[in-house]
Amino acid sequence: MEQIGSEYLDDKLATVKEIDFLQYRSGDLPTWCPGCGYFGIVDAFYKACRELELKHEDIVAVSGIGCSGRTPIFINSYGFHTLHGRSIPVASGLKLAREDLNVFAVAGDGDALGIGGGHLPHVARKNINITFLLFDNSIYGLTKGQSSSTTPHEQKTNSHPAGNPDKPLNPIKLALSYDASFVARGYAGDPQGLKEIIKAGTLHKGFSFIQILTPCVTFDKEYRTWKNLKENVYDLNLSVKEKNMETAMRAAENEPFGIGIFFQDTNRPHYQDILRRLNAAD
Amino acid sequence: MKDINLVVEICGSAGEGTISAGEILSRFMSGQGFEIMSFDSYPAEIRGFGKCVAHTRISTNPIYSPGKYADVLISLNDRHSISQLSVLKSDGILIYDNQPPKAHKEDQSVVGWATPGMISYGIPLNMLANKAAGNARGMNMVALGALAALFHVDKDAFTGSIRNRYAKKKQIVVDSNVNSFLQGYEWTKTNVNKTDLISFDSVSPQVQGEKLITNGNQLVARAALDAKLSFYAGYPITPATKIMEILSKELPKHGGTLLQTEDEIAAIGAVIGAGFGGKRAMTATSGPGFALMTEFTGLSMMAEVPAVIINSQRGGPSTGIPTKTEQSDFNAALFSGTGDCPRVVLAPTDTSSCYQAMVTALYIAEKYQTLVVLLLDFFLSNSIKNIDVPDKPSQEQIYANIAPNKEQLKDYKRYKDTKNGISPRAIPGTPGGMFFSTGLEHSEYGRPDYTDANHLKMTKKRYRKFESILCEAPKLEISAMDSESVDIGVVSWGSSAGAAHEAVMIARKEGMNAASFSSMMVSPFPEDELIAFTDRCKQILIPELNFSGQFAGFAAGIIKRPVERLNFITGRPMAAEDILQKMREM
Amino acid sequence: MPSNDHYVIIGNGPAGNHAASVLRNKDKDAKITIISDECTPYYYKPKLTGFIQGKISARELMVNGPDDYTNGYYKNIRIRLGQTIERIDPDFNAVFLNHMEKIQYTGLIIASGGQARVLPSMIPYAEHLSFIASYSDVMDIKDRIDKAEEFFIFGGDLVGFKFLRMLNAMGKKTSVLIYPNAFWPYNLTDDMLEKIIKSLSGLTSDIIVKDDIKKIEKNESGFRVFTQKGVVKTTDLIFSFNGMAPNIDFAVGCGLDTDHGILVDEYLKTNIDNIYACGSCAQVYNPSIKSYCVSIGWPNAMVQGEVCALNLLGEKKVVESVGRKYFDLEGVRIKTTWWDDINDDSLRM
Repeated sequence: MEQIGSEYLDDKLATVKEIDFLQYRSGDLPTWCPGCGYFGIVDAFYKACRELELKHEDIVAVSGIGCSGRTPIFINSYGFHTLHGRSIPVASGLKLAREDLNVFAVAGDGDALGIGGGHLPHVARKNINITFLLFDNSIYGLTKGQSSSTTPHEQKTNSHPAGNPDKPLNPIKLALSYDASFVARGYAGDPQGLKEIIKAGTLHKGFSFIQILTPCVTFDKEYRTWKNLKENVYDLNLSVKEKNMETAMRAAENEPFGIGIFFQDTNRPHYQDILRRLNAAD
Repeated sequence: MKDINLVVEICGSAGEGTISAGEILSRFMSGQGFEIMSFDSYPAEIRGFGKCVAHTRISTNPIYSPGKYADVLISLNDRHSISQLSVLKSDGILIYDNQPPKAHKEDQSVVGWATPGMISYGIPLNMLANKAAGNARGMNMVALGALAALFHVDKDAFTGSIRNRYAKKKQIVVDSNVNSFLQGYEWTKTNVNKTDLISFDSVSPQVQGEKLITNGNQLVARAALDAKLSFYAGYPITPATKIMEILSKELPKHGGTLLQTEDEIAAIGAVIGAGFGGKRAMTATSGPGFALMTEFTGLSMMAEVPAVIINSQRGGPSTGIPTKTEQSDFNAALFSGTGDCPRVVLAPTDTSSCYQAMVTALYIAEKYQTLVVLLLDFFLSNSIKNIDVPDKPSQEQIYANIAPNKEQLKDYKRYKDTKNGISPRAIPGTPGGMFFSTGLEHSEYGRPDYTDANHLKMTKKRYRKFESILCEAPKLEISAMDSESVDIGVVSWGSSAGAAHEAVMIARKEGMNAASFSSMMVSPFPEDELIAFTDRCKQILIPELNFSGQFAGFAAGIIKRPVERLNFITGRPMAAEDILQKMREM
Repeated sequence: MPSNDHYVIIGNGPAGNHAASVLRNKDKDAKITIISDECTPYYYKPKLTGFIQGKISARELMVNGPDDYTNGYYKNIRIRLGQTIERIDPDFNAVFLNHMEKIQYTGLIIASGGQARVLPSMIPYAEHLSFIASYSDVMDIKDRIDKAEEFFIFGGDLVGFKFLRMLNAMGKKTSVLIYPNAFWPYNLTDDMLEKIIKSLSGLTSDIIVKDDIKKIEKNESGFRVFTQKGVVKTTDLIFSFNGMAPNIDFAVGCGLDTDHGILVDEYLKTNIDNIYACGSCAQVYNPSIKSYCVSIGWPNAMVQGEVCALNLLGEKKVVESVGRKYFDLEGVRIKTTWWDDINDDSLRM
C-alpha cells in the first residue's frame, strides 16, 4: 500500500520540476508520513491556484489542529494554523472582514466533524464564501490512530481495540442537509480531478464543501487504504443538470466512493451579498 | 446656589411605564443642567408582570455612584413597592396611589408599610390618568406631574420634555401623556399639603456644554465605531447583547460587518480571523461566553493576532445571576487559559471612561498585536449617565498597526524579536509579506520551533510588549492625596471606583484622613504607582463586588501588605455608604 | 396559645401609645397597629413652642425614636403614620383607610386626640388662620414666623400665651384678642380675665377684650383684621388659639355615640363592645355628676390609655383622673379635668 503512495510521489516529483505550479509550495518540507494522501491534496491545491492564477498574497489558508493543520505551512501564501476544530469560524471572520482574499479552510475529519462539528451547519446555511477542504482519512492521525467521526463501524482502532462502537457520519449527507450551496467529493489519489473540484469550489460564490477521501498510511491499514480506495473510487459523472438536491442525496446515501460535484446552487447569494441587500433595504 | 442631591425611584410592574417614566425624568433633569445617573432593574423574565424599578440620582454636583438609598419612592404598583420601601431613606418621601380602582386588602398597600419619619403623599394616580386619557396607562405621567408640583419643578419645561420623548408617536399619545402629567401636577398643587423641604426653586445648575445621555453598552459601541471597528462577531448574552444590537444597526453604515455566530467560540474565532486580516474586530460577552472563548484568547496572544473581548460581568459562576451586577471575573480576565499568557485588561471605572477604554482597547490590540479584555459589568453596561461628549480618537489611535517596511520584507520575520517586542505585522494582501501563524511555539519566521532556547526567547519577547503597554495606560485616578500620609487608602477597580471615590470625599468632609486610588488598566498593572500610593497609607481598604476578594488578593501580592477587604455579592452596585461605614469601623 | 387578636389603635399620642404598650406587655402575640393621620412619630405637643424657637431639636421633640417600635419598649407594634381613617365599620370589625386599605380588628381603641378648634364664626376665614396645634402646623409656619414682624393672636389658651411670650422674646410686635371661651369647654370669668390681662400687659401693648372679629381681609403683605367694635389691625400673621376640639370626624355616623367627643362609659367603652376611646377625643361619663366630660393633658391621656387597654383585655377598671389637675394660665389656675368635682369653685383663684 505504501508502495502505491511512493510510486505516485516519485512520478509527481519528476514532472513538477517542469511545471511552475510549485511556486505555490513553500520552502518547508512536509512533515507528513511518506506516502500520505495529503501530498496529493496539496498538489491538487497548488495546481488549482496556478490555473486560477491566484496571487500568493491574496490566498489565506486557515487550518485547525491535526495532520491537516500543518497544510498552510507548505503553501506559499498567508497561513493561519488555529485551534482544533476552529478553522471554519476563523476563516469566516477573515473572509467577512476581507472579501478581497481567497480564503480556504482546511480541516481533518476529527477536526471538522468531531470537535468543530458545530460550526458546519452555520457556515453552510449562512453561505459564507469560503472553500472548505475536509481531509477525510477517517482516523485521528496526529494523536496516533483513534476513532474519528468517520471511522467505519466496528473498525479496530487504538481507542477502540475491540472495534468502533459508533456509526460513522456521512459528510456529504450532512453538508447537503445543512444546505451547503456547493458539495463535492474528491480523492487524494486523483489530483487532476481534485484540482478541478477545488477550482470549481474556489470559483463558487458561497460556501464550498469539499470532502477529500484520503488514506492514513500509518494508522489505518484496514479500511481507508490506497488499495481499497483505488479499487472502489470512481467518478460519479453527475451532469450539472443532475446536480439537484434529490439526486445528490441519493448519491450521498448510496455512493460512498463516488467522487465529483454532488450539488451546486449557483443562484444563491453568498452571505455578504445577502447582508448588503438587507442593509441597503434597511 | 442651592444644591440638589436626590435619588428618585419609580417602582411598578413591567408594562406600567415605570422605566420610561424614569427615562423621561432623567432626560428632563439632564436638559435642565443637572448631573444624572440612573440604573434600572427589571425582571429577567420577558413575560409577566415582574417588578421594575427606575432608579435615578439627580445632582447639582458630579455623581460617582447611583446612591444606595432613595429620597423619593414613587409607587405605581403597591404590591411591588412594599419591598422597595426598604431602600427608601428613613425620612424619605413616598408617592402612592390613594384611590386605586380596587380596595387593598390589609397590608397590601404600600403606604401602610411606610415607617415613622417617612412622608407619604397620596395622589389619585389611577383616577387622574383615567380622567386625562380614559385609561390608566398615564399613571406614570401623573406621578411625574405630582413630583414636579411637589418639588417646584418647571412645569412647562417638563411637558416639553415629555413631548420630545413621544415626538415620533401619534399626536394622541403625546397629548394623553402630557394631559396625564398636567392632571397630576394641578391636582397636587391644589390638594397636597407639602411637608418636605425638597425644592428645585432657585436651583440653577450650570449647563456645561452638550451632554450625552448614555450607558456603557451604548458608549462602547459608539467608541468602537469612532475608532474604526470594522468587524464584530457575537452571540447573545445578558448583559452584553445590546452592544451587538447597536452595532448590528450601525456597523454596516460604517462599512463594517456584523456576524451573529452559533456560539461564543465561533465569535472569538471570527474576530481573530478578521484581526488576522488586518481589520479591527471585537466581540462582547459575559462570564459563560468568556469561559468558552478561553482557548482562543491563548491563540490571540501566541499568534499575536489583535482581538478585543468585552466581558460585561454578571453574577457568577456558571450561569449565575444574569441580571445582577458583580465584579467576579477579575481572575478569569487576567488568568484564564493555559501557559504563560499575558493579556491586557482594561476596566473602566465609570460610564464616561467606557469610551476611552474602548478606543484604547482597539488601539492597544492593534499596535501590540495582542488580546485586550475590556471588563464592564451589568451596572456599567446598563446604568445611564449624562456625560460630556467624548473627544474622538486621534489618528494615531485609529491607525496603529506597525507594518514591515520594504527592507524588512526582503527577509520577512513575522515574529521578529525586537527591542519592544512588537514585530512589524504584514496584512494579508501585502506582496512579499506572506507568513504562517500558529498557536504552536514558533521561530521568528513563524515556523514551529520547540527548542528550549527559542521557547524562552519568544516567551520573553511576548512579555516584553507588556512593559511598553503600561505606558499606554490611561491616567490613574488618584484623589485627595494631598498630605504626606493618610489613615485609610481606598484602592478600587472597575465600577466600584466611583463609590470609593465618593466615600473618600464624604469621609474627608467628616474629618477622616483618606484617599483613593484606581487604575483603568488592571493588566499590566501600574505596580510602582500602587506601591507609591499605599506606602503613604496607614491602612488599605479594597472594596469590590465579589466574594473572595479577587482584586484584593492580587493587589496584596503587589504591595506585600495585608489589606482590609469589603466584599459584596448582593447584585447591587457598590455603594459609597457601604464603603464609608467600613471606613468608620477601621 | 398564640392569639389571633389584632388591636388597632387610632391615634399616636400619649393615650394611644400608652394603650399600645400595655397591650403589648399583656399580650405578646397579638398584632398591634397604631394609625395616625399625622406623619410625625409620637412627639411632645407641649414642647412645640420650644421647637419653633429652636430651643429643642426635632429629635428632642420626639418621644420615641424609630427603633423603639422594632426593638424597644414598643416592640413589634406596627405604626402607620400619615394614614387617615375614612370610616369605621363596626359591623365588619373593619377600619377603612382613605388610601383604600381595609384593616380588620378584634379590638379598637380610638385615641385620636384633639385638633385646633376653629370657632364657627371664623370658618369663612379659616384659610387665613395659623395654628400651633400639631407638628405639621408648625412645619407649615416656622419659616413665616421668622420673617413676620406683626402678629395678631385671638382666643388665647395655654399654648397661645406661651406663644405670645415666645414672640415677645423674639422681639415681634403682637396684638391679642382674648376670647372668654377660648378655654373650651371652660369659660373664663371676668375676674380671671382681668388677672390674665394684668399678667400679659408686659408682653404686648395691644390687648383687646370683649370684642370679636368681624372680618379678615388679605392684602399683598399680610392681613387686615376688623373687629365688631371697629378696631382695625394690620398684621403679617393671624393665630387662632381656641383650645382643642376632639378629632372624631371619621367616627361620626358609623354607629358610635358621639357628642363633642366620642361618648364612653366610666370603663372607657363606647356603645359598641369591642371599641374603646380615651384621651382628649373621649367624653367620659362621670357617674357622680351624671354627665360626660373631656379630660385633657398628658398624664390623663396616659392613664386613660392604660385603662382602655386593660378593659379591652377583659378587666373592669374605672378611670380616674391623675397627675396635675390644674395648670397655671398666666397666674390663673385652670383645671385639667372635669372629672372629680366640676363645681369646686374654691379651686379658682
